[in-house]
Amino acid sequence: MARRTSLPVTFVVPTIAILLVLSMVPTLYAIVIALQNRELSTPDYSWVWLSNFVDLFLDRRFLNAVWVSVKWEIVTVVATMVVAIGLGVLMFEVASPRQRNVYCLLFIIPVLLPRVSAAFVWKFAYHPLYGIATYPYRLITGGLIFDPLSKPATALFAVASVDVWQWGLFFAVIVLKLLETLPPQPIEAARLDHARRWQIHAYVTLPMLKAPLISLMFVKMIESLRSFDLIYVMTRGGPGVATETLDMYAFSQGFIESGKVSYASAMAVLMMIATVITFTMLWKRVQA
Amino acid sequence: MKPGRLIGKTILAFAGFLAVFPLLWTALNSLKNNVDIITRVPRLVFTPTLANISYILGRDSVMTGLCNSVVACGSAVLIGVVLGLPAAYAVARYPNRWAGDIQFFVLSLRFLPPVAVAIPLMVIWLQVGLYDTLPALIITYSLLTISVIMWLAIPAFQAVPKEIEEAAFVDGYGAYSVFWRIALPVAARSLAGAIAFSFVLVWNEFLIALMLSSSNAKTLPIVASELSQQGMNVPWGILNASVVLLSLPPLLFLGVLSGFLNSVFRQKKT
Repeated sequence: MARRTSLPVTFVVPTIAILLVLSMVPTLYAIVIALQNRELSTPDYSWVWLSNFVDLFLDRRFLNAVWVSVKWEIVTVVATMVVAIGLGVLMFEVASPRQRNVYCLLFIIPVLLPRVSAAFVWKFAYHPLYGIATYPYRLITGGLIFDPLSKPATALFAVASVDVWQWGLFFAVIVLKLLETLPPQPIEAARLDHARRWQIHAYVTLPMLKAPLISLMFVKMIESLRSFDLIYVMTRGGPGVATETLDMYAFSQGFIESGKVSYASAMAVLMMIATVITFTMLWKRVQA
Repeated sequence: MKPGRLIGKTILAFAGFLAVFPLLWTALNSLKNNVDIITRVPRLVFTPTLANISYILGRDSVMTGLCNSVVACGSAVLIGVVLGLPAAYAVARYPNRWAGDIQFFVLSLRFLPPVAVAIPLMVIWLQVGLYDTLPALIITYSLLTISVIMWLAIPAFQAVPKEIEEAAFVDGYGAYSVFWRIALPVAARSLAGAIAFSFVLVWNEFLIALMLSSSNAKTLPIVASELSQQGMNVPWGILNASVVLLSLPPLLFLGVLSGFLNSVFRQKKT
């Protein structure tokens, strides 16, 4: 449609200009603040250049937060993909078309919930005395107490389970829809060769879906960066610093504990650089 | 039935149960008195009460939060529609050498850590005097809604058969009326899905709202999260009721969004 019209310019330019302003102003300003020593309590500030960044690398709590964030990212992404592929293939294999529709509807519900709601729902459920999820344990052990959210060893996994509850089930629906778009011939051929069900999926269907599955994982990696709501409601980074991810630590430095806005901003800038570099590289590879 | 299939069906049924049961249990708890919630053995039989729900609906903070959420999300989505849809159409139908870069830029906005946006914006809004106001929240949310609507609407417009638009041009329609009278109505269903998705996204947003409001502009998720910090005696029933209230609006879009998902994959098939 190579027509001479002003439409592309009038439609695209204002929107992109606004998006650029809305995104670049905070981004650049985050860098400016990170080079100063602003605090919420006073309006005075001076330029300290890179000293916030130097302090960060000497801050053991920051290094812990980096490690927790990496753990969170790996645990949630891997678990989500495993649940999604497992349930997706199961639906494809054993559910009738009508059952598939019902399951698809059910599996979308958790991801639609506000993270705050999901976090509360599971915080009640994990309550050691009155929670519904810990009830089976109390029943079997005759009343022993299991408190997953207050043990350093289990807290991260307990919070991650809520993330997987939301995203793993949702992605299972997408995996099913992807399987349904595949042509039936290769599956039939494999069946004629007496391949077992799981072999068909491991060697035929899932390799055919490699590209969309990688994109799906990419989306999950981005969404996993947004862990703040769940952690804020469920553990506040605790017990101790066992679930303190980077955004949680930045928030508590900037707002709760000391109001060190510049210090928090330096952390945010590092996160921004790391994510933009990682995801730009991954995106180019996915596209290639 | 083979044992393998039976096991598979059982796992699926359990997953389906797991998907909805926690939420149903919360809804049930919102109808209970505290005595019926704080029990070592979960109670299914109890005398229902509406006290929690009426307490929630009667609180000023909750009502203010609800209004703020509706106004902030509604306005941001409206801005997203007005600015995002035309831009998406232009990128889809008049691709030029920047089209790829524009799409990548719009997607890359999603990479930005919310903290990295919220901290500088808080300082900026404080300096401008707009901190803790709805306009500040709306402008910030517009960044989210415009980019998400654009991202999802580009494929929706690409899926409109070109022939229909060509025919309209032949009939003497201009470029703008083709967009307005042909492309928009034909793509309406997918676009509705994209818009609903952007609404759910900002309705559920927590971190930015937490950082950009202190009292006046608090949205419902913030108010709900604060209810848990009242005193030593956790009002479980009230908390459950607030969770239910907060979760209802996104669930209203369940039908639209699952239809949207289906239409996305039907396009891929053909």
